[in-house]
Amino acid sequence: MHKRYDVVIVGSGLAGLAAADLLDRHNLKVLVVDDNAHTGGQLVRTFPGAGVAHRGFEPDRLKRRGRWLAAVLRNRPVRFLNGSQVLGLYPEGALLVEDRRRRISEYRTQTVILATGTREKYLPFEGWTLPGVLSTGAAQILMKSSGILPGINTLIGGSSPLMFVLAAEILTNGGRVHAVLDQSKASRKLQILKMGPSVLPKVLEGVFYLIRLAAARVPVRQGIRIVAARGRRELEAVIAARVDSSGHIIPGTEQTYSTDTLAVGHGFAPNIELPLQAGCAVAYAADRGGWFVAVDSSMATSVPGIYAVGEATGIAGAGKSFIEGRMAALNILFEKGRIARPVYAERTRALICRHRHEVRYGRFLNMACRTSADAYADIPDKTTICRCEEITLGDVRRQISNGFTSLKGIKMATRCGMGRCQGRTCGPILFDLISSLAGQPPTEIGCNSSRAPVKTVALGSLEGIESKAATTHSGWANAPKMEERYEHPLT
Amino acid sequence: MTDLRIASIPRGKAVTIIVNGLACTAFEGETLHAALLAAGYRGLRKSPQTGQSRGIFCGMGVCYDCLVTIDGVPNQRACMTPVENGMEIQVDA
Repeated sequence: MHKRYDVVIVGSGLAGLAAADLLDRHNLKVLVVDDNAHTGGQLVRTFPGAGVAHRGFEPDRLKRRGRWLAAVLRNRPVRFLNGSQVLGLYPEGALLVEDRRRRISEYRTQTVILATGTREKYLPFEGWTLPGVLSTGAAQILMKSSGILPGINTLIGGSSPLMFVLAAEILTNGGRVHAVLDQSKASRKLQILKMGPSVLPKVLEGVFYLIRLAAARVPVRQGIRIVAARGRRELEAVIAARVDSSGHIIPGTEQTYSTDTLAVGHGFAPNIELPLQAGCAVAYAADRGGWFVAVDSSMATSVPGIYAVGEATGIAGAGKSFIEGRMAALNILFEKGRIARPVYAERTRALICRHRHEVRYGRFLNMACRTSADAYADIPDKTTICRCEEITLGDVRRQISNGFTSLKGIKMATRCGMGRCQGRTCGPILFDLISSLAGQPPTEIGCNSSRAPVKTVALGSLEGIESKAATTHSGWANAPKMEERYEHPLT
Repeated sequence: MTDLRIASIPRGKAVTIIVNGLACTAFEGETLHAALLAAGYRGLRKSPQTGQSRGIFCGMGVCYDCLVTIDGVPNQRACMTPVENGMEIQVDA
């Protein structure tokens, strides 16, 4: 089996596929690695058991394109490694990959594209660890990938734009939606109109969802926040209350919803763990979802030979992901002399304009689902913050007042971020908490440093690795490189 | 037990998975966490610190909450594993 490629792409979502397609068409040897069993990332998920004919018409143009690419590329020379996780990236272009049979191999390349995507963010509440409480993404994935409803009568809450999409999808699939409890107020959402007439399709889409829910008599409540999830061993009931304009819970407005399934989400964060391990510089912006990989106008990171594309460079949805995949591929083709400068310039120019628009839209979305700093004050001390290690908010508050005002400091003082998920779930929460309590600037709060293996791996898999790179380079990129001032070159 | 499988979606081939020694029907193409949910298993593991029950949370392999033992190998993410005929699962419910 070949171990050397012209380009290795990590992530087979829209960004990765867009790049793979273009690179392959110019006869470059491409490898795409994805830890999912399927190709297409989070957006392009279909139930393989249903057969192609059933898939039906997909109204979302980008999803359609993604589905088509995922299917078409499998018949092209591009090699796909699914169910495989990249454990680390090393100098001299070596990647350590564990495949689905738990064998670790080294791959070599001169060019890597990191299209590592995104994950959901949460605002914790008492009882959020109970079985029955799941993320809005998890609810969608159950339906899309396995054709199974998340529950009989699902309650949906949070501030994520996905909430309404999820509700509509549950209804389409014959399930019931108890209610949609939106933490933010309608007025915040109407601000999108400031972006001008180009957002009209998206506004109409939102209105369409609301009409759909109204027709199905699904209550949609604005300015309502989840206070607690209750149940002995599994979820039985949810308490929610009204919030004021700063997100504070208004006492006395609590209501109980009897349900065994609650889907929550509060926006998205870029997956920067592998880029960090590889030494790529990151920057912080709330309107990009938090810490993101810093790139120049050709999607190149601070490490020569490594590009980053899609949600990893800032949360903005599928449109931006597709464009950035293309842009990185174009730059690689130009650098390798496969396309001439005038062609490169012309095609890039066409993409840049659309890119600007997608980034603006992303900014709006990220700010619309943002939780205010004040909102953390309402969460009781006994609430779990680090799900993996079961560290409570009280523990963290205590250590922040003891002077541990960085993610690294809190990690040392409490173990937050030392569990299996390595801070992917609690990291964004802790960042906001420290920010609200201590007021440190982002670079002082920092992000969790990331070392190989970037994903959990069994000891047995490590036996007998033949990798000069991995055994030669220990502690590469020990401390995260955080940029204080980062101006995105394209906006 | 009410069925969570979406009626309008045709299923592929039926497979049998064995959960805590009991045979359970699933369908080709389903992910293990979904099949377990449809079979009524919502608590999948117990948190080592408090013994509290945990189940599906992020559904995409990030949170490591949905850990079950698959064919003798512990701590496998059910949400990242497609079902296979004859798979033996231990759930710490």
